Amino acid sequence: MKKSARGLSRRQFLKSTAAAAAVTAAAEFVRDAFAATRDRITIYHSSVADSLHPYKHSSSPIYGQWQHIFEPLVEYNYKRKDYDGVLAESWQFDGKRWVMKLKKGIKFHNGAPLTSKDVAFSIERMKDEKGGSLQGSNFKDVTEIQTPDDLTAIFVTKQPLAIFLDRLENRFIINKGAVEKYGADWEQHPVGTGPYRFVSYQRGGNFVFTRNDDYWGGKASVKEAVFKKVTEDAARLAALEAGQCDFINNVPVHEVARLERHPRVKVDKVEGLRMFFLAFNVAYKPFDNKLVRQAANYAVDADSIVKNIFEGIGYANQGPVGVNVVGADPKLKRYPYDPNKAKELLAAAGYANGCDVKLYYSSGRYPKDTEVCQVVAAQMAKGGFRVDLVSQEWAIFWETTGVNGGKLPFYYIGRGSLTDADTLYDQYFRTGTTKRTGYSNADVDKLVDEEQKTPDMKKRTAILQQAGKIIMDEAPFIPLYNLADIYGMAKNVNWKIRPDEKVLTWDMAVK
Amino acid sequence: MRRFRYFKVFAGGVILVGLVVCGVAAPLLAPFDPQEQRLEARLQPPAWSGVHWLGTDNLGRDILSRIIYGSRISLLVGATTVILAGVVGCFLGAIAGYFGRGIDEIVGKVTEIFLAFPFLLLAIALMAFLGQGIVNIILALMMSRWVQYCRVVRGEVLSLKERDFVTAAKALGGKDFYILLRHVAPNTLPSVTVVATFAMAIVIISEASLSFLGLGVPAYIPTWGSMLSEGRSYMSRAPWLTIFPGLAIFITVFGINLLGDGLRDLFDPKLQRQ
Repeated sequence: MKKSARGLSRRQFLKSTAAAAAVTAAAEFVRDAFAATRDRITIYHSSVADSLHPYKHSSSPIYGQWQHIFEPLVEYNYKRKDYDGVLAESWQFDGKRWVMKLKKGIKFHNGAPLTSKDVAFSIERMKDEKGGSLQGSNFKDVTEIQTPDDLTAIFVTKQPLAIFLDRLENRFIINKGAVEKYGADWEQHPVGTGPYRFVSYQRGGNFVFTRNDDYWGGKASVKEAVFKKVTEDAARLAALEAGQCDFINNVPVHEVARLERHPRVKVDKVEGLRMFFLAFNVAYKPFDNKLVRQAANYAVDADSIVKNIFEGIGYANQGPVGVNVVGADPKLKRYPYDPNKAKELLAAAGYANGCDVKLYYSSGRYPKDTEVCQVVAAQMAKGGFRVDLVSQEWAIFWETTGVNGGKLPFYYIGRGSLTDADTLYDQYFRTGTTKRTGYSNADVDKLVDEEQKTPDMKKRTAILQQAGKIIMDEAPFIPLYNLADIYGMAKNVNWKIRPDEKVLTWDMAVK
Repeated sequence: MRRFRYFKVFAGGVILVGLVVCGVAAPLLAPFDPQEQRLEARLQPPAWSGVHWLGTDNLGRDILSRIIYGSRISLLVGATTVILAGVVGCFLGAIAGYFGRGIDEIVGKVTEIFLAFPFLLLAIALMAFLGQGIVNIILALMMSRWVQYCRVVRGEVLSLKERDFVTAAKALGGKDFYILLRHVAPNTLPSVTVVATFAMAIVIISEASLSFLGLGVPAYIPTWGSMLSEGRSYMSRAPWLTIFPGLAIFITVFGINLLGDGLRDLFDPKLQRQ
């Protein structure tokens, strides 16, 4: 038989295989040796935008991704504990008006200058809840947006709104011209003013940005940023250790010690602003009954969860918000863990033989969420509840068929970047803001109204504390804890860690 | 040679019997309640002299007890699926093989459709469609397992129906279903037994895979697959969370395969003549 008839001789085959193997091995070695580069940084994150609609979410990490492309008017400075202007140069609180002056000379990625028309247009888009926005409630008190000139936007509110800057945080400005040009296709062409431009997006795949070299502010050092949604803790960790990605969030606390000894990887921690809780929707039985809600509060031992599941890297909340939040009341105490008391209250509420509830959560969204929910179920079982756990895909859990449609009676969730109790009280417990809790209490409404028009911080805090007391007694939710946010990254990445879960590539430098 | 064959059946049998005993007598054998969480005693390593022989998991539950209780699910799902799939598969295979023509054509096409699906993918799709639950998992696995029986039985029946004793029975005026049940079916039993044992091994692995993916039985029921799934993020810190349920699956499937192998050798007429 001729050699050529068989295509490859055995020797040739072996030779080429060996060569291919060597090249592959060498490539692996190179990747391992250099880790992150200035050309590209790859971030595996547990939550990445589920669609290209920039307003169809309200989640801190996802704000962080959009902030690469779009920018807000103002941003909270956690060090100064006050707001910095981003697109806004200055602002003025004037009774029922907020006058915002925009910075001069800012250009969108398509070359168009930033004007107050873009601001008004963006806010209108955010208010358009039929169009998919989940951010409209931030502007429910805004009656009109005036644009007297190109660099001035005036927000007129129903009543004086002292906390308006908080509402403007993470509200990103899109380009009116681009949206009008692309029409129904506008989501596919995100045009902003940010330090990065949009490159590509696949749902569940990569969300890619490249540096905007014409950026009006300081230039980012990393050229390309790739975000990929990986909800599995172990998978993110393995990818980081293997050099497949350069940066991950939510490092499981039990892996921190091992990672700290890793030759190529480091860990960074910060006290997180996210407050975790179990929310009730009081529109559903049995949570319409205050006694049941209080019983559930008595039945959950948050301290034990923090101590054992999170190995002590956090603290249980004593009131409706964490101790470091504006409006927290140091005198409040959480319901003590007391399963017998829980049973008594349940019996008083007419559930002497136990009470069946379903606890919804989205596995992989938050650190150790499955474990937490299993523990909660076991704890509540001792207090007379029978808890069925239901894990849902985030998109289903979160959107109109879930939390935001008010369809879930009882769920595990976290509120991120919480610095002011008003944010939580207004969003979750004020009548009509959201369907998430179905909660309505005239006294709370009145206090929130009052607090929102009070510029004096001391007075505001006192009002917030009053509202906090009522909320604690009414128990429309079970406050749990704040945790440390733990990030893992390649050793040669320098990142200014933030407490609000945003991963901003321009805060990174690669050595 | 022959002794070794018996050894395989014996060893496989012992493992299977052990599994059955574990499942049936779980409440007596398990030292702890498999659900009971003791957070203060979480992630305790295995200690033969200690309280928890195989250690505790991430919520402080006793791993040995969970493995013992987990055998119930494996057994229940394994046995029920194998029997149900067997009944459906054998019936369809037998009538297809015996009557031939149209029925054979239809059954043949349907089996081909089912065979065209990757087995686990079909099971995953069905579970996603039906939702969690033991009944649903059995249904999903059955839907994807009956085909093997059907093909084997059809082949057997095709050759059996040409044999002299069947012709004789026909000549004596036997009705079709009588002949099928009385003369043909018993002769397919050896092959069906072998198919069933191997199917059981595959079903147990599939149940574990589906539970691992979170598509199996509800989370509060301990299964080997869900133990693996929950333990995997602790692989480096506490490997016993995954090693022991993994071993349980391995030993069970190994034992059942050994049994199936041995049975096949015993029933194979070619080997018997040697």
